[in-house]
Amino acid sequence: MKRKAMSRTERKALADTLVFTLPAVVMVILAMYIPFVMSGYYSLTEWNGISRNPVFIGLENFKTIFSSGSPEFIRALIFTFKYSALFILFSNVLALALAVALTQRFRLANFLRGVFFVPYIMSMTIVGFIWKFIFTQGFEKLYEITGWGFWNYSWLGDGGLAFYSLVLVGVWQSLGFYIVLYIAGLQAIPTDILEAASIDGASAGKRFFSVVLPMLGPSITTCIFMSLTNSLKVFDIILALTKGGPGGATYSATLDIYREAFQNNNYGLGSAKAIVFFVIVLVLTQVVLRFFESREVEQ
Amino acid sequence: MNTRTRKKLGHIAFVCVITLLAALYIYPIYLMVINSMKPFKEVLTNVLGLPTKLALENYAYVIEKMDYFRLFLNNVVITIIGIAGIVVFSSMAAYVLDRRQTKCTRLIHTLIITPMLIPFQTIMITLLKFMNTIHLNGTTWGLGIQYWGFGIPMATFIYFNFMKSIPREIDESAMIDSATTFQTYGMIIFPLLKTVTATVVVLDVMWIWNDFLLPLLMVNSSPSSKTLVLAAYNFVGSLNTKWHYALAAMVLAVLPSVVVFILLQRYIVEGVVAGAVKG
Repeated sequence: MKRKAMSRTERKALADTLVFTLPAVVMVILAMYIPFVMSGYYSLTEWNGISRNPVFIGLENFKTIFSSGSPEFIRALIFTFKYSALFILFSNVLALALAVALTQRFRLANFLRGVFFVPYIMSMTIVGFIWKFIFTQGFEKLYEITGWGFWNYSWLGDGGLAFYSLVLVGVWQSLGFYIVLYIAGLQAIPTDILEAASIDGASAGKRFFSVVLPMLGPSITTCIFMSLTNSLKVFDIILALTKGGPGGATYSATLDIYREAFQNNNYGLGSAKAIVFFVIVLVLTQVVLRFFESREVEQ
Repeated sequence: MNTRTRKKLGHIAFVCVITLLAALYIYPIYLMVINSMKPFKEVLTNVLGLPTKLALENYAYVIEKMDYFRLFLNNVVITIIGIAGIVVFSSMAAYVLDRRQTKCTRLIHTLIITPMLIPFQTIMITLLKFMNTIHLNGTTWGLGIQYWGFGIPMATFIYFNFMKSIPREIDESAMIDSATTFQTYGMIIFPLLKTVTATVVVLDVMWIWNDFLLPLLMVNSSPSSKTLVLAAYNFVGSLNTKWHYALAAMVLAVLPSVVVFILLQRYIVEGVVAGAVKG
């Protein structure tokens, strides 16, 4: 075996590499890798967080999750998928429509972009509380004034309606974010292409669907991807608005993991749910990312 | 009517509609603000109208009860510690990872950025236990330090992609003048990263300042280390239907972000867009 002795400069280069990357590596290991590996281990145990030693039970927790032993997690997953589907649909369609409107030339355009962005800089918890106030006090007053029964529905007290209320609040909070992303995408489209389409006699609608939309490919991929990852992890606004109620109808996957661990003190089962959630998020996001990237037109 | 006036009228109608939509959009925020300045009874009887008399004592009560300035300071400390570590450690790592492309650096690169795929909720249970063990929970500085590990993967990713655009000749000429790697990084490279540092700072300030779940797990049981959003959550939760106080607390909780946004709107929007496109 031939082994080259490291030269002085090589040794120095290696030392530099280690010194420069060590803080980042150590912090990431402490904050992410160690807890991740621990989650993997605890998912195979039964542990209430109080007793000294977790009891190793193999794959029991995973069997519990996928058999009838834990219907609430499956229910929470279905809630999360439904929430994500509506969130992705509404935030992207509305954001794109508003982005098109706000890229027209008029004096207030810049100011209005700022207006739509304001909820995004607020904490989601506070946004949840704002809407709790609107859904209760505000809607009550609107009902008094208009007499429309619609205002008097139990927007947070009925499981089915509470779901739509949460979608509304979620979309309201982050719409500004997707608007600015779509605006950036729209502004990157070369104007001469649009002019050429106009000259060829394409109507505004035709220009949008056959020229603008295909050229927005990368923006659409980014926005779909971001809205997917954000909605799958929905947590704060639910805690502020419904706390998972009424009757557990609005538990998301993340809120269910939180409840299992910190309220039911089932750290083992909670960890197993966390691992299942991780796999689902990973697979879904990668599949969606590949799908949309493959559909982007070459530019 | 000729086509020109019709076009003009159409434009005016369009501007009216979009302005109305925007007004409707922030109407909930307007309602929060005006009701936070009303006496208790008026919030219940006259939600939509302007206050008949300003009840600023709501704010005095909340500022005192919540210990607002203390919370504000906590948030500032946590955010500054978090941002400083993320910016320095990520840019340092990205610098050598880009300049020395060996098997070893590629491995380290993968090691640092892969955790971007791990949702926080996957590790939160064991994180709490582990942070207990290494005594990083329960304090503002401990919480600030925890953000390093969560922010570094994405920040390193963004810095690394930008580093390619800085020509190597720049650091080579510095090396000829016998500057150490650290001097080259600190005096030459880091200042050139200004725009991308701005992106990282915008993204991470918005995240850390408004974060809820990590403070809930780490500092909820230590009153002196709470963050603004966490304290507002507890405070509003404890008030039940005393909306006049709750709303004042909510306004105070979002006020700093809104003020900063109004002052730095352009930079914030640019940072958010750049971060999303690169991330």
